This record gives sequence, structure tokens and C-alpha cells, in this order.
Amino acid sequence: MKRVAIDVGGTFTDCLVLDESGILQSFKSPTMPQDPSTGLLRALEKAAGAYRQTLAEFLGQVGAIIHGTTLATNALLTGRGVETGMITTKNFRDIIEIRRGIKNVNTSMYNFFVPPYRPLVPRRLRLGVEERTLWNGEIATELDESEVLQAAEQLRAKGVKAVAVCFLHSYANSANERRAVEICKTAMPGTHVTASHEILPVWREFERFSTTVVSAYIGPIVDDYLAELEKRLGAAGFRGTLLMMLSNGLTETATHCRSRAVFLIGSGPAAAPSAALHLGREMPNLNLLSVDMGGTSFDIGLIRKGEIPTTTEAWVGDHRVAIKMVDTRSVGAGGGSIAWVDSLGLLRVGPQSAGADPGPACYGKGGMEPTVSDADLLLGYIPDDYFLGGEIPLDAKLAEAAVKKVGDRLGLSVTETTQAIFTTVNSYMADSITGVSTKNGHDVRDFALVVGGGAGPVHGVFIADLLGIRNVIIPPVAALFSAFGMFVKDVGRDFSRPYFSPASRVDPDRVSQLFREMEEDARRALKAMLASDSSVVFTRTAEMRYSGQFHDIEVPVPGGDFTRQTLGATIDAFHARHEELYTFRMPWKEAGFLTFHLKATVQRAPFSLRSSRGTGNTSRAIKRERRCIFSGEQVKTPVYDGEKLGGGDELYGPAIIEERTTTVVIPQGYRCAVDGLRNYVLNRSS
Amino acid sequence: MGNTKIDPVTLSTVWHTFQRVCHEMRDVLERTAVSYLIGQLHDNSVGIWDARGRTVAIPVGLTSQFVGSKFPVQFILERFKGNIHSGDVFLTNDPYNGGFNNHLPDWGFFRPIFFEGELLFFTLCRAHQMDTGGSFPGGYFANGFDIHAEGLCIPPIKVVEQGRERTDVMELIWNNVRFRESVRVDNASMIATTKVCENRLQEMLRHYGRDVVMACVDEMMDRTERAVREEIRKIPDGTYYGEGATDDDGTELDVPVWVRVEVTVAGDEISIDFSKSDAQRKGFINQVYAATYSASIGAMILFFDTGLVDYHNEGTMRPVKVVAPDGLVVSGTYPATVGGGPANITERTLDAMYMAMSKALPHRAIAGWARHRGDYVFGIDPRTSQQYVRTTFDYDGGAGAVAGYDGYVGAVIMGAVHRGNVEEEEVRFPWRMLKYEIAPDLEGAGKWRGAPGTIWESANEGAEVGMATGSSDGELTTGAGVLGGQPTPLSEAHIRRGSELILARGHRMHRVRQGDSVLKVSGGGAGVAPPGERDPEKVSEDVANGIVSIGRAREVYKVALDPDTFAVDREQTEALRRAGP
Repeated sequence: MKRVAIDVGGTFTDCLVLDESGILQSFKSPTMPQDPSTGLLRALEKAAGAYRQTLAEFLGQVGAIIHGTTLATNALLTGRGVETGMITTKNFRDIIEIRRGIKNVNTSMYNFFVPPYRPLVPRRLRLGVEERTLWNGEIATELDESEVLQAAEQLRAKGVKAVAVCFLHSYANSANERRAVEICKTAMPGTHVTASHEILPVWREFERFSTTVVSAYIGPIVDDYLAELEKRLGAAGFRGTLLMMLSNGLTETATHCRSRAVFLIGSGPAAAPSAALHLGREMPNLNLLSVDMGGTSFDIGLIRKGEIPTTTEAWVGDHRVAIKMVDTRSVGAGGGSIAWVDSLGLLRVGPQSAGADPGPACYGKGGMEPTVSDADLLLGYIPDDYFLGGEIPLDAKLAEAAVKKVGDRLGLSVTETTQAIFTTVNSYMADSITGVSTKNGHDVRDFALVVGGGAGPVHGVFIADLLGIRNVIIPPVAALFSAFGMFVKDVGRDFSRPYFSPASRVDPDRVSQLFREMEEDARRALKAMLASDSSVVFTRTAEMRYSGQFHDIEVPVPGGDFTRQTLGATIDAFHARHEELYTFRMPWKEAGFLTFHLKATVQRAPFSLRSSRGTGNTSRAIKRERRCIFSGEQVKTPVYDGEKLGGGDELYGPAIIEERTTTVVIPQGYRCAVDGLRNYVLNRSS
Repeated sequence: MGNTKIDPVTLSTVWHTFQRVCHEMRDVLERTAVSYLIGQLHDNSVGIWDARGRTVAIPVGLTSQFVGSKFPVQFILERFKGNIHSGDVFLTNDPYNGGFNNHLPDWGFFRPIFFEGELLFFTLCRAHQMDTGGSFPGGYFANGFDIHAEGLCIPPIKVVEQGRERTDVMELIWNNVRFRESVRVDNASMIATTKVCENRLQEMLRHYGRDVVMACVDEMMDRTERAVREEIRKIPDGTYYGEGATDDDGTELDVPVWVRVEVTVAGDEISIDFSKSDAQRKGFINQVYAATYSASIGAMILFFDTGLVDYHNEGTMRPVKVVAPDGLVVSGTYPATVGGGPANITERTLDAMYMAMSKALPHRAIAGWARHRGDYVFGIDPRTSQQYVRTTFDYDGGAGAVAGYDGYVGAVIMGAVHRGNVEEEEVRFPWRMLKYEIAPDLEGAGKWRGAPGTIWESANEGAEVGMATGSSDGELTTGAGVLGGQPTPLSEAHIRRGSELILARGHRMHRVRQGDSVLKVSGGGAGVAPPGERDPEKVSEDVANGIVSIGRAREVYKVALDPDTFAVDREQTEALRRAGP
């Protein structure tokens, strides 16, 4: 059977196919924002064409499609969700608007000149109903069902397409929320109804309500899309499983995702660290930095000892989304990032981007501002005739005119300005990486840099150089980095059980019981997702804190029966992790447990990419030479055709490798070894 | 060292590193502290100074807690000369005797940062403690006899000596505060926060070298100074007056106390002169000069190019003189009580500055923010039999308007602090929240209106408790609207006992019995420019959202709306607006 990964991005749909012979093929086709399922099927048609098959023949041989999409993220960020209503506990209808007094998170406290937050549900569509659940789960006031009915009818009359039901303390007892959902579903057929206990059953109502409202707001869009996609794939002959890439780095069936849209936020970028982990699996310690530099953003993921980190602290745009998400940081730096001069006379690059339209000045589509891609072109790094395999011709004259504008303000020549833009954006990216790594107390020099994105391979080595990173890995599919991540990922699901207790009062038998329950749940759920029992791998963790703290640390829990020894080991791991993260531990203060987690993953059936062997004579792969600028000096640089390189080949900078979808720049002093899967592994040659 | 060449990229990276480290420090504190006020509400501040006591980075905090902390740094440098070592940590909370602090609950841990044996920087982590001793928990009670009655006064002392905690000294301190174990955790967390700063700055120094980093520091200050002078030059020369009053000083009741400022701009320099403010009071609302300095600088910054917001430092302060002769309410001297200073006089200092600066720069006008409506409740939680102290910012209104935007809903203290969650408060404290919503018709009206007010009610499910309302203001006095905008509406609070409503005034002490509830109806922020100039569509939206009533739309905003659809009646609106106020 073939396996397919499809990442639908803002501009391109990336499709990777692994066939029975172990050959990995990549296809890129334009995304159709108005009709994404058609765009996706076109990409599949393109793939089928490459196998000289009809779509039906091709799909008939596909066992699973793993799919990531920016649909949810984009609907939220561009404000294109649906009219949404909220039914909430009476006297508390402004939780999502007051939002704990948090002013715009993206701006300094000294900036008062920002518009107030506009909640996704305006106040007139937030309706309170009589009900009250307490912190201990006790129902103090029964749900007033007639008020719910009235509210539902009022919202229906106002034309809402989605409703979020958000009651206080519903994480402790969801009875009132569940009943309200039933009433709404009956009273407003066809409306997308979501309750807070279904989306995020944990305490702290602002975070839970906000996340639930986000899910409702984008819910119908995701639901319609997935329903349509399942239908069309079925009609086109697909009989396999459609799995969605989730924000937490796991995958789930499309059917499961239809009522939980918020879990598709960041679907796509969440897969990038998996790509890095796969590519860097032979690096010592599995300490890896996953970077993905596209047109407008630079996504960073830090993998420590093979662990892909997650967070529950995310903001998406100006909205709080508190589900567990793969902790990638995105900063405004990409090929389209615009260079400008600020009021302190400093050269800045980004976060404004020329995007895909008009795009960088060199695209000749009307862009007047100098961008990173313009600098890359003027430095000779990217070809004017082979950008996306020649699909987009680039114009150096236009790039030069745009760069000159900024150069004049800085009193620098075009070449100096070009170099300054290149160095500035690299420093900014390097600094952002430091922000992610050092924030967790890690020395970035202990990591290998795994580079993805169309623009990443141009800048990767320079970023590594600034950070003192020794090893850089660039795959030939760098431009389809997230799709590759989906492809190599394990399938799985997270399970959790609350267990509030100080460490001294934990009952080990009870904990063993909780883990057994979760393992049973997991086996059942994974069976539905095409896995046999034997290949399921369980990872146990506990959320712990010193009693009284407001945040938890997730620490590993050994497998097997949970005994006194296991408890001791877990507590020791907590103290150590606290010190590692925050520089101190408090042995005199009791630690406590909050939640036990089980992550169940199914190892993917092993796959083997067909390996390639180089000829050893790399000069045959040279397609031309061109003048590039390295550190301000013009250097005649050989340009290699990536497809003609193979395992065992080695070359030395200065050199350029052109792939259809990206360009690898190797500066002087660097050695590039090609491995058996045609990945480029670069390090300092001296 | 003077001719070390620095390239713009290094400068920019070093600059941003200082800022980022401060944000990281606050993250570490939030993640490890146990005080609700520190961990969830963010009543804390951090910053970085150099070894000459010059301000390097002050990106986030409560202005009066840290903007002017160069004064204690300079004092420590002088007093401990020859006795400052790597691994030392100093603690102080004293407004007097070299502490230059705003009030006693805000303890500050200062750490000197060395590189290759040389003292280069200081960092500070300051946070409002769960308790600081004194007559009542929380530190916001009126009528202390003098500063000593308000709690433990700790002048700058060494509490960690070359990496070793001076446990006997800390034991003495913890033994004199309530909730000693929790305070101990918070102190460990604060000290660790300064350690994180040391680690990060040393990494940076190793990477770029001492000379390059120090040359960047000079360059940062020079660039900021040039940019700030440029901003000041844009202001027409002249003297601009502003004022603000707190309801009373908690001792002499119902007599407002005034902060008055004259901001004089001459060329590229500013003098901020508080000489006309009221004299220092017996009551607890006094503020020391360092806090006045901090609030003045913090307020002034808001009026400059927002492109500079992340880059303020010593250079910002060089063209500015803050004048306040000793003995005023903005320059209190020993033994004046200062417990209520931050929530009252500091906030009024900001109000006065907004009013004056808005006259100087009308296109950057900022109206007064909602008054604090705070209280500190102390009692026993029957569920655990443990003592607790509770405060929150939930009952406050939000931000004042600015030229161009309505006030930010819910924001408190420049947005540097946060509110709590109902669920978390109910888990932590024996109170049940009855209501927490936007209060209609309590916004300071304007072309750009203030954030709406808040209505808040919570019932005491524990035994009888004390409630100190020292951080409540705005029952007699208002924050100014600017350019014709309306002021912050007045606020009030009551204790509900059965069917009875008992007035619960600010700056006083109250008892709240089991089963009583506390009801606060709080005014929102003030407005900018006359309400009759507000876009009628925005008024319609406010009415649809229940923030403004249809009657108020007509009377105050001069907008006529259809009572069913809230659509704007253009003709009638024009007629109302022609008729004027």
C-alpha cells in the first residue's frame, strides 16, 4: 500500500507519497483557499499522474492519508469564523471579554495605543442562564432548562451558526453543561454546539471558555470541510483511513476531529519537529532544533533528548488557546520579510511580510519594499531562473532598486545593505532560537540544527554559525518539511486522570489502577485507528508542583506497577526537573500530584526509503557557476544539481546545491556530506 | 574601551537580550511562586542596572515598584563598597534608609552580576509579599501610628553571601511575618529569578565579550536619549498642568488629597514639578520621591513614539528632571506611613501626568484609568482551618481611553498585572462569587470612551473576617477625562447582610460576617474628547451589547436609536448633536 501525507498551507499544498518500492515523491500544487478539498484532490491527481494512474486507481492503493491543514488557524487569524453565540452561567457572561485583564500580549506595557480586544462572541450573543456548579462538583443551582431553551431560540433568531456552552466548574461536574447541550441541539438543529467540558475539562474558566469559544467559532468550517473531504475521497475511490494532524503532535481520525476544531489549530507546523526528530535520529543525545523558514514565518521547535515539547500557554493571534500544543515558536522572519529602518536608526527585518502577493520586489508583481528573498537573490544564493524549478522567474534589477531605498537611509551601498539585511534576519532568527532554547535553560551549542522550509536551506548554515552550532541537517524535501513530519510520525492519543494529592498521601495501588484504566481506554481507541495491540507503546507522565504553586511540571513516571519505589523515583525526578528548569529546588517543601497522563502511540509500520549511492565524482553534478557574495567578497561558486548527488558524496563550500523546491547554500569553511537518503549533513570543515 | 567598535547587529541583539531576560525572569517567578498576588495577578517587577547604577532594562512591571530602582542600586554600591561579591543577594523593602521603596509589602531582591571577577550589572526582582508583618495582614490598612506599625522595615542588607543564604537573618525576617512558609517559597522563587538573570547575562558576556557588551550598553543609552530628546522637541515649549486626588488619607476622612504637577517643556528637556502637591499626611497614602520619580517616568514614556516602547533605559531619564521637595504627599519623609501609597497616590500621579501630557500632546491623549477598588480580606478557611489573605483586581474597572481607541476592557495598572479566575478563587478561598460582569453605564463617556465599569459580588462562606479597603479609591474623586472626555464615574461598595446594604467605604477597616456578601459597583476608565463626537455606529454597538443604555446614548452621546433594532436614527441624531450639550 502507498502512504500519503498532505499539508495544506496558505500558498501551497504539499503532498508526499511513499510507494511500495520505497521511493518518496513530492508534489506541490497551489492551495485553493475558497475550496480546499478540491485543491487537495488536485494534488492527489498530480501524484496519480506521476504514477500514470487514474485518481481512483491511485487512491485504491493508498492505505492512509495523514493530513495537516492551516484551515483552522487561518479561519481564526483572519476572523473568518462563523457568527457564534455563548450560553454561560448567569452573572458571569463577560469572562472572555474581561479576559483576566490581559492587554494585548504582543505589545509592551508602555504601549497604550492598541485597540481593545474584540471577543469572538460579542456581548449581545453571550447569554446567561440560571445554574451553578461548585468547585467540588456539587450542583448548587439546578439548570433552568426553560432559560436554556429561550437562550437557544434567541440565538437561533439572531442567526448564529455555532454555540459554546460554558459553565463555571463544569470540569468538576459536567451535568449542567451536558443537559444544556442536549436542549440546544434539539432547539437549534444544524447548529454546531460545543461545551467547555468536552474541549478542555480543566479548571480556570477564562482559559477553558476562551478555548471552547475558539473551537465553536471555527467549528462549522472545520466540520464542513472534513465531512466534504471524507465524502469526496470516498467517492474518488479512497478506502483507507484519513488521519488528521493535531496541534499536540498526535494524529486522530477525521471523524473524531469534526466536533473538536480547536485541536486542528497549528496542524501542520506541529508536525515539523517530528520531521526533525526523524532526520536527526542519529545525532548524539537527540538534541535537535527544528527550524522551518517559509515566506512569512520562521517556526522553531526544540527537541531535547528526543522529546518534542508541548505547552498549554499558547496565544493564537490575540486569542487564548489553552489545549496542549506542540511548543513551536513562530516569529515573523521569512523570505518575504520586509527590511526597514526604525526610529533608533536600527535596521530591522520583519515582522511585516510582502507575503505571496505582491511578494518580494524581485517577483515583479508590484512589491516595492526590499525583502529577504531580494537580498538572497542579490547575494547570488538563489537562482533567478530556477526558483521553484523555474516556475517563478526573479528580477535582480527590481530587487536592487528596493534595497537601495533602505541603503540610502542607512548610508550604505547596495551590496553593504544586502549583506546587512541578510545578517540581520539571520541574527534575528538566531536570537529567536536562543529565546526558545535558553528560556528552557539549554545551551544551544549542544543541539543540531535541522532545517526545513523553502528559504531555510539558504540561511540555515549562517544561523548555525552565529549560534556556534556544529551540525546542520538539510533534507532534500526541506520545502515540504511539515508534510514529511506527518509522514514519519507515530499515531497516538493522550489520556489523563486527575489525582489531586500531596506526595505523602498518594495511594500507589490507586495510581496503578488509573494507569491500567487508561491503558484499556487507549487499546480500545487505537484499535479504531487501525492498530493492533502489540505495537502500542505507552509513555507515562505525572503533572506535579510544590504545593501552592500555580503551574505544573510534567515528569516521567516509570512503567509497570506503580509502587512506593516508583513514587519515590517520580518525586526525585520532580525536584531535579524543577531545578533544571528554574535553577532551584525546595527539598523542605512538599510536592504534590495533579494529573497522571498516558500517551499511547502506535509505531508506524517500518518503512524504508530507497537509498541512493553517489558516484564519488561530484564534479559531474556541477551544472554551472555563478558569482556569490560571502562576507562582502565576490566569490565564483560552483552550483550543483542536487538530483545528481548521492550517498557518500562530499563537497566543500563555497558551493550551492539547487533542488527543485529549495537551494542549499554552503559557505566557505563548511563540508557537506550527502547521506544515503540524500540528506545534506553539514559541519565546519576546520 | 571607549573605541570598541560595535556593529548594528550586535547592538540590536544585545539590546533585545536584556529585554528578553526580563520577561523570562517574570515567567520563572510566575511559574514558581505560591502567592496568588505574585503568581497569578503578577504584582511584581524586574529590571537590570549597570554597576554605575544606570538603568539598562525596565520592560515590564508596576512603575512605582521598579522604574526608579537605580536609587537603591546606587545606595548599595556606595554602602557596600568593597564588600560586594559574586553570589551575593541583597534584600530591602524600606522606603527610607537607602531602600527607596514604595511600600513595605514590595520586597526587592537585588543581585550583583559579575563577569570574570568584575561587577558589571545589578538585577532586581521585586514582588508584593503575602505579608510583611505590621498590625494587620496584607499591608493595606490605614491608621498605622508610623511606618513601623506598617510592618518590618528592611534596609538594604545582604541575605545571601557568596552563594550561601544567611539563614539566621532570613529566619528573623520570616519569624516576623504571617504565612512564613509561603513567604519563604516566594523568596526562594524571587532569588532564583535573579539567578536566571545572572546566568543569561553571563552567557551573553561570554558570547560577545565584556567590552562589546559594555560598549553596547553605552550606545543603547545614547540612542535612546537621542530618540527621547527628539520626541520632547516635538512638544511645544510651555508649562502644562495636571492634577489628581485620592478620596482621603484614611485618617482624616473624606478630605481629598491632591497631587499637582507642572510639566515644563523647554527644547529637548522636561521638568516634572510636583511642588504644588499637598503636604505629607498623617494617613497612609504617602509616597516617597523614588516612587514619584518612577511613576512620572513611566507615564511620560506612554506619550512617546510607540516604536520606542521596548527600548527605554537611562537615556530616557537624562533629559528629565523630577522635582518634589521633601515633605509632600509625593515625597514623604520618615516616619510617614506609605502602605496605601501605590494604589492611591501613585495612581493619582499617573492621572496628573496623563492630564498634563495630554494637553502637551493632544494627538497622544490618555484619559485616567478606572480607580482601584481593592481590599485585603483576612480570616480562616473552614475547609482547611488555615489562615488566608485574599486580594484581587477583579472588582476594578478597566483602562482609560486614548486618542484613537476606547479603553482596554479589564486592564489594571497599565496592564502589568492580571485578574484571577473565579474557579481558582473559589478553590483557594472560602468565598463564593455571585456576580462578575461588565457594569452598564459606568464608562467615562467620550469620542473614545473609557473601558466599562465592573459589578462584582462575592459571599463569605467562612467565619467572620476583617476587610481592609486601603486599596479602594474613587468614591469621592474622579480620574480626569481629557480633551472634553468625561471623567471616571464614581464607584461604591456595600456589605450585603440579609436584606440590608451597609456602605463599605474605601481606606477603612470592615468586618464581614459569615453569609454576608460584598458588592462592588466600580466605575470604568475616563474618556477622550466629547461624547457628542463619538461615531453613532459605535454607540449603537455599545447599546446592543448592553454597555450603554439607550437613554444614556441619547443624553450623553447625543445619539438617537431605534429601541428595537438599536439602528441609528440619523436625522434625530443630527438634531440632537446640533442642539449641543
